Amino acid sequence: MSEAHLERVLPTTPDALDLAHEQLEELWAADPGVSPTDRMRFELAVIEILGNIVEHAWRADEGHPSARRLSLELILTRDRLEAVLGDNGIPASIDLSAATMPDEDAESGRGLALTLAAVDALDYARDGGRNVWRIRCDRSTG
Amino acid sequence: MIEIDVFRRPDGIAVVVPQGRLNMVAARQMKELLAILVGEGSSRIVVDLERTTFLDSSGLGALIGGLKSARQAGGDLRIARPTPEVLTVFQLTNMDKVLRPRDDVESAFDV
Repeated sequence: MSEAHLERVLPTTPDALDLAHEQLEELWAADPGVSPTDRMRFELAVIEILGNIVEHAWRADEGHPSARRLSLELILTRDRLEAVLGDNGIPASIDLSAATMPDEDAESGRGLALTLAAVDALDYARDGGRNVWRIRCDRSTG
Repeated sequence: MIEIDVFRRPDGIAVVVPQGRLNMVAARQMKELLAILVGEGSSRIVVDLERTTFLDSSGLGALIGGLKSARQAGGDLRIARPTPEVLTVFQLTNMDKVLRPRDDVESAFDV
């Protein structure tokens, strides 16, 4: 049983996803005792939110790509998994309380509802020109 | 990173095998591949998920898109052998009823 804290600056493009998967693997290496279910739901939430950020946080025609910033912080403790995703993109126009599954033949729009179903807590805040997403999964016992 | 293998069985069914993580990046590849298969007349498709280690909502969207276009072309898309991780995503989104995972590739089109 150990604790880990990994923080990385990621590219603001879809390349960030594979790097985040790698960062998650480093986190699991720090504590092999995290259950497969907890790994899966945490990884799913991190990748969903990250995918949302790289798709929507920056408009292609606005600002210089070099000014874009995205960071991913992963925290593992004895009883929980936490992620903090920060970006300096445009404010996310999101109402977490209204995130629901779309019709079954919809090809998109499930990301936030799926994330909410997977985690114990998901928070979004606009803080000093940054979007800050916080994910928490309480570790299962036994 | 993902690798997607495709092969055709003698009965004409196309078997698609994504190996790795089916996330937003891979979903684009998957979507294009399924569209090409249906466009070429292979509208009966089995997606073998035994080696798919991760699926997110984009990957799920690609499968649903493939299912819709296969059905529009008179065929179907069936899912076989999902890992527990992938099955959980189907369940959390209530898509297990629509995509109805099968236990094996061979018999995926039998019933």
